[in-house]
Amino acid sequence: MLPKPLLERVLLQALATGGDFAEIFVEDKYSTNLNMVGGKLETGLSGRDYGVGIRILKGFNYVYAYTNDDSEANLLKVAKTAADALVGAQRDQVIDLTRQEITNRHLIERYPHAVSKQDKVALMLRANNAALNYSSFISQVRVSYLDEDQKVLIANSDGLLVEDRRVRTRCSINAIASKGNEKQVGFYGPGASKGFEFYDEIDIEDYAREAARIAATMINADLCPSGRFPVIIDNEFGGVIFHEACGHSLEATSVAKKMSVFADRLGEKIASDVVSAVDDGTIPNAWGSQNIDDEGTPTRRNVLIENGILKSYMIDKLNGRRMGMASTGNSRRQSYRFAPTSRMTNTFILPGKHTRDEIIAATEFGLLATYMGGGSVRPATGEFNFAVREAYMVRNGRIAEPVRGATLIGKGSEILHNIDMVADNLARGQGMCGSASGSIPNDVGQPTIRVSEITVGGRKGAAK
Amino acid sequence: MKLELFAEKLFAAGKESGFTDMEVFFSGGSSFRAGVFKGEIDNYTLAESSGLSFRGIYNGKMGYAFTEKLDEESIDMLINDAQQNAIINDSEDVEEIFAGSAEYAEVDAYSQELANATTEQKLALVHAIEKAAYALDDRIATVQAFFGGGASERRIINNKGLNLAFQGNTAMLGVSVIARQGQETKTAYGREVARDLAEFDVDKIAKEAVDEAVSLFGADTIVSKDYPIILRNDVAAQLLAVFAPAFSAENVQKGLSLLRGKIGEQIYDAKITIVDDPHMPGKPGSCPFDAEGVATYKKNVVEDGVLKTYLHNLKTARQDGVESTGNASKRSYKSSIGISPSNFYIQPGEVNYDEMIKGTKEGLIIISLQGTHSGANPVSGDFSLAAYGYLVQDGAIVGPVHQITVAGNYYQMMREVLQIGNDLYFGGGSYGAPSLKIARLAVAGK
Repeated sequence: MLPKPLLERVLLQALATGGDFAEIFVEDKYSTNLNMVGGKLETGLSGRDYGVGIRILKGFNYVYAYTNDDSEANLLKVAKTAADALVGAQRDQVIDLTRQEITNRHLIERYPHAVSKQDKVALMLRANNAALNYSSFISQVRVSYLDEDQKVLIANSDGLLVEDRRVRTRCSINAIASKGNEKQVGFYGPGASKGFEFYDEIDIEDYAREAARIAATMINADLCPSGRFPVIIDNEFGGVIFHEACGHSLEATSVAKKMSVFADRLGEKIASDVVSAVDDGTIPNAWGSQNIDDEGTPTRRNVLIENGILKSYMIDKLNGRRMGMASTGNSRRQSYRFAPTSRMTNTFILPGKHTRDEIIAATEFGLLATYMGGGSVRPATGEFNFAVREAYMVRNGRIAEPVRGATLIGKGSEILHNIDMVADNLARGQGMCGSASGSIPNDVGQPTIRVSEITVGGRKGAAK
Repeated sequence: MKLELFAEKLFAAGKESGFTDMEVFFSGGSSFRAGVFKGEIDNYTLAESSGLSFRGIYNGKMGYAFTEKLDEESIDMLINDAQQNAIINDSEDVEEIFAGSAEYAEVDAYSQELANATTEQKLALVHAIEKAAYALDDRIATVQAFFGGGASERRIINNKGLNLAFQGNTAMLGVSVIARQGQETKTAYGREVARDLAEFDVDKIAKEAVDEAVSLFGADTIVSKDYPIILRNDVAAQLLAVFAPAFSAENVQKGLSLLRGKIGEQIYDAKITIVDDPHMPGKPGSCPFDAEGVATYKKNVVEDGVLKTYLHNLKTARQDGVESTGNASKRSYKSSIGISPSNFYIQPGEVNYDEMIKGTKEGLIIISLQGTHSGANPVSGDFSLAAYGYLVQDGAIVGPVHQITVAGNYYQMMREVLQIGNDLYFGGGSYGAPSLKIARLAVAGK
């Protein structure tokens, strides 16, 4: 993308004031975004993001600069301006970049640019029709389609020179059910690090019908009661609970400065015995996978928690310095506009020994959250919250009436200890995660789990 | 390539390819951010960046494309993509390229004082606020302070003769603190925006954050039931932002707003007036023209509880047979045209925040709501959100409360407003509100 001698000159310039590490991240991304409302393609957007980010590290500190102008004169100017933020003298340094070839684990069959926009629209229309025809309660359907082809080059003063190409696609369905003045939204958004072949492998209409089913069920549901009681959280996107309640607090971004509740706790018991969890950026073609992270380190499978014991954090180079630990291949960023930091990839709780039916049968009274919405957390306190998209009351070991509007809140450190049953039906779901280095694709996942007690917020009043 | 030249070449190429009306929307600028941790500047970011979005009418349909590279290759890509995107567009709405309004207001968004400020002065502020926060209370374990700011430019050039430019700059100073006492950890933050570095009150921002964090020690949950609620001004503004999309004519026309057919009707308590003001000096939502180049103006969207108007762009205005309200927007330079408020606020009332507390026999002050992106339904108005704050009994705060959720419906809540504070607050954003006292919301605790 940029010639080697130029990269070397820019890195050297970046180190002119005593920086001990410099890095260049070049990104050229072509993306398409299509939006359909009520079966009509309302907006089609496509285009090219292009820019260069230059990062200089000195000890625990960093300087980051980015620009769209990749001319040699400008890059040298940007490197100099960035270097000027530090005070010091250049060390005796030679930069000799060696190109590294990576083995691509995420093979693509149909690159997005090779597929006509009409075919993409036809896919969306199938989803629209499937959702709309599901139930007479469905009053509106919105379908969005995204694909992107991101090429990156990473070069650093340790001599690394590596390129990667990441192709992703996602189709999201919002089905809106109406009854009088009430409106409820059902959502499903499957995605993968794949080309258009993804839609040959899944049936988008199944997902659309499921989004419609959720909306139509919830429009006819009563309000959720509130209080503290057992909650069963279903598999797949239910894993957002681990992502929020625990995952963010295991990112070096908050651990390194000891701002996380889990800082300095490696080897300690932080969860109940039935909880084991991993972050795995290597899963072929998964939504949150990459061959290398955005610092050029190969991604890997990191066991975070094993039988309740904290085994590893997710670490990037800079925070790793403060922690005295090596990168775990978790450094990520939305684009060249962000300095990278430690983030999750595909993060999930591993399967346990129960079945979903056993868990429900063992629950006298509680809530079954079949689909979760998004949530958030404050890593310093571990306090999290998230929304439940579809839920049912559980009475006497059986699934009872549907309820809507539930919110789950708690502290990550407590909830991990309160997971008392884990099923065998692991599945992953796709999401976008917003944090320090921007919005990035993540898989969340888990089997069906039961939390023995959690605070449920709802509008109906205290549970009886 | 310079913007004017690029636009000229682009329009010529577009014309050859069959486009009739064409426009470029350019957004560029520079930004600076520095953060301090334990006395050292540990993060420092500089940027010069820009992006350009092209849209044009091809066979009567609008097509969009964007780029961050202004080179010859990009011209071909923009024309080609916009053409493709126009072909697949089957919206029946008519989008137009606008020739211009009769006149545009002068809006003051660029501060020369701020432009003249040096990096040293900015870094001195970050160091000062970190120091101030640590000094205020021994229980402050970690402080992260930052300064952020930048200048931005927006340009709209089209082949119907429009050529608009607007420049603004801004600066923000903020601090977030972590306080520890025994096993308890509490966080809070403070921040301010200013148009001149001299306006930053370092001690005040630090004290607000520190006072709030240490005030939360000993927090407990409370019994689940309905409580009268005081929404602190920042929280009232946060909720206003979540439910503001209901005022967008686009959402109304698409059946995604409960305000459909409610113009002229009482939708909120008669004490509530909501203003959209794109001409406030130095506010982030200020601009003399909107994303379609239409002149902006100040208006009451809700007046004494009555809905006066939706927010329109050219497309929705045409459909409703009204004039655009100058609220066309783009989420980023690359987005298609949507609708959003400019600076949007609930008009302040007379009541002092302390008096509001004094007049409360039993109630809850909410000072933080979390998870609004997922726990609130902007269409139905329903919300159920994690919260914390203080319990009030007999007119005085008796202690902090946490691990609760508050749930309700925004429309119902806004019909049950008992008092409106005199403390309008924007907090650096484009949504503002005074503190509000509400008859009741459902609280879930223990």
